[in-house]
Amino acid sequence: MTDDVSIWQAAAEPTAVRSGPREVQSRVPKVPTETVFTIEDLSFFYGDHKAISDVSMTIGHHEVTAFIGPSGCGKTTFLRCLNRLNDLIPNTRTEGQIDFLGHSIFGADVKPIELRRRIGMVFQRPNPFPTSIYENVALAPRLHGMKKGLDDIVEESLRKAALWDEVKLKLKASAFGLSGGQQQRLCIARAIAMKPEVVLMDEPCAALDPIATLRIEELMVQLKSDYAILVVTHNMQQASRVSDRTAFFSVAVDEKGTRTGHMIEMGPTDIMFTTPTDKRTEDYITGRFG
Amino acid sequence: MMARRKLGDRLFWGACILAFLCIAGPAIAVLISVFHQAVPALGWSLFTKRTNSIGIQNAILGTLVLLLGVLIVAGSVGVAAGIYLAEFADGRVGSVLRFLSEVLAGMPSIVIGYIGYITLVIEFHWGFSLLAAILALSVLVLPYVVKTTEVALRQVPGALREAAAGLGLPRWATVYRILMRPAWPAIVSGLVVALAISTGETAPLLFTAGFSDRNPTLQLLHHQLPYLTGVTYTDISLPGARAHATAAAAGAVTLVMLIILIAVGRVVSARARRDTARMSL
Repeated sequence: MTDDVSIWQAAAEPTAVRSGPREVQSRVPKVPTETVFTIEDLSFFYGDHKAISDVSMTIGHHEVTAFIGPSGCGKTTFLRCLNRLNDLIPNTRTEGQIDFLGHSIFGADVKPIELRRRIGMVFQRPNPFPTSIYENVALAPRLHGMKKGLDDIVEESLRKAALWDEVKLKLKASAFGLSGGQQQRLCIARAIAMKPEVVLMDEPCAALDPIATLRIEELMVQLKSDYAILVVTHNMQQASRVSDRTAFFSVAVDEKGTRTGHMIEMGPTDIMFTTPTDKRTEDYITGRFG
Repeated sequence: MMARRKLGDRLFWGACILAFLCIAGPAIAVLISVFHQAVPALGWSLFTKRTNSIGIQNAILGTLVLLLGVLIVAGSVGVAAGIYLAEFADGRVGSVLRFLSEVLAGMPSIVIGYIGYITLVIEFHWGFSLLAAILALSVLVLPYVVKTTEVALRQVPGALREAAAGLGLPRWATVYRILMRPAWPAIVSGLVVALAISTGETAPLLFTAGFSDRNPTLQLLHHQLPYLTGVTYTDISLPGARAHATAAAAGAVTLVMLIILIAVGRVVSARARRDTARMSL
């Protein structure tokens, strides 16, 4: 079991100089929040290629945590480790520890299917099922045995995703009749219909226009009251707008040319974007590379 | 420069039209020829009388019963195998199964008929029978159903599988509830191809169905079965113009069935294209 208080005590003390990612101390006193993920020395391999190397961090509940960094630095791979979606890719290997609400997700008694019901995911391009709007949201709860009360679940999820008013009169219409932004909100509604604790979002606004993007960003901030939101984003302004904490990933190229992702720095968003500790973070944020 | 392009363009179009005529020509010629030869035998008695009195009602019904049987047997086994290959088989098992399926596809229909005769008709003591005929035809068309089902499922965008996995849906539910819906029209058109092939196949039926002047009962064993191509096969070698006309008439009815099946197949795949076009994935 992770001891929430001790993690925050450790963060408040000045850390000894060591190589690797460092927790940045915030000057704003922080109320200890529940920790939803504890990740220790996570490495991920595609075959022999080490895609991410020794990532350690904690992720808090009821917060938006953003992951930024240049292309190919392993942010999406890292996100997909958290709900073990990478298990579906053959010839891959994970090393290190990931604890979800205190329990290892790699435990022998953990079924990935069960895990993914508690950790929802929204993808880069909206991918609604080819059925009606109602069915998209109701399908997963129905398959998990909830026969009654589906109407309420659907309405609640669509309301939380800020889509209800736009679709309440056409719930039986095909999901493909919706615009891109609406489809993505439908995908969010579908993810939260299962009442997860966490929602992972992999560049959710990448395929959307600026207005739709803004609505999704507002949604992310609203949703954090109920869930932990983890967002991978290429858009730094988005990260600074919506997130409470930000982790910066970057890629290291060794002499053979293999690219491995590392987490460089993680901390409260206000600190990361104004006075980051690591020069690489500063270079990325100010646009000198990436 | 432009003149050369225009010439090349015209030559190419000319070649395309020529190729089209090479295909359309024989098809239309066969159709016209068969219907022309069938004229003396055309009339209501063709459909109301049986082969013992210069009609082909029993043969038509026999072919229809066979098509139904093939749809049930090859349809269920083939679609299930296709789903298995597309969604559940791991690399090695999948390769072996696909290889075997392709071997089966290459097998001559007369060999399949012969094997059916030796095992089902003789060894199992079924005699010439409906079940033996259905099984022989189903084995013949099985590779087509398996292949089109597998391809239909592979064409469903992977994003749907990811979405389903992200929701924690088990594999079978993903296939049954989510993937089959967009794949279904393509699977159906594969089934239509299988039926179209079955309509015209003669060799397997020669060895397994026998023939009968009576209308087909739905008895699976020990009762011989009439079928349209059998009428053509037999009557062509009988003396007399009347027999030849009946043979042509049976051929004409077979062709009409084929055309209807192909038209249905095209309507279904047009709907499939329309549905998948809306998926902007």
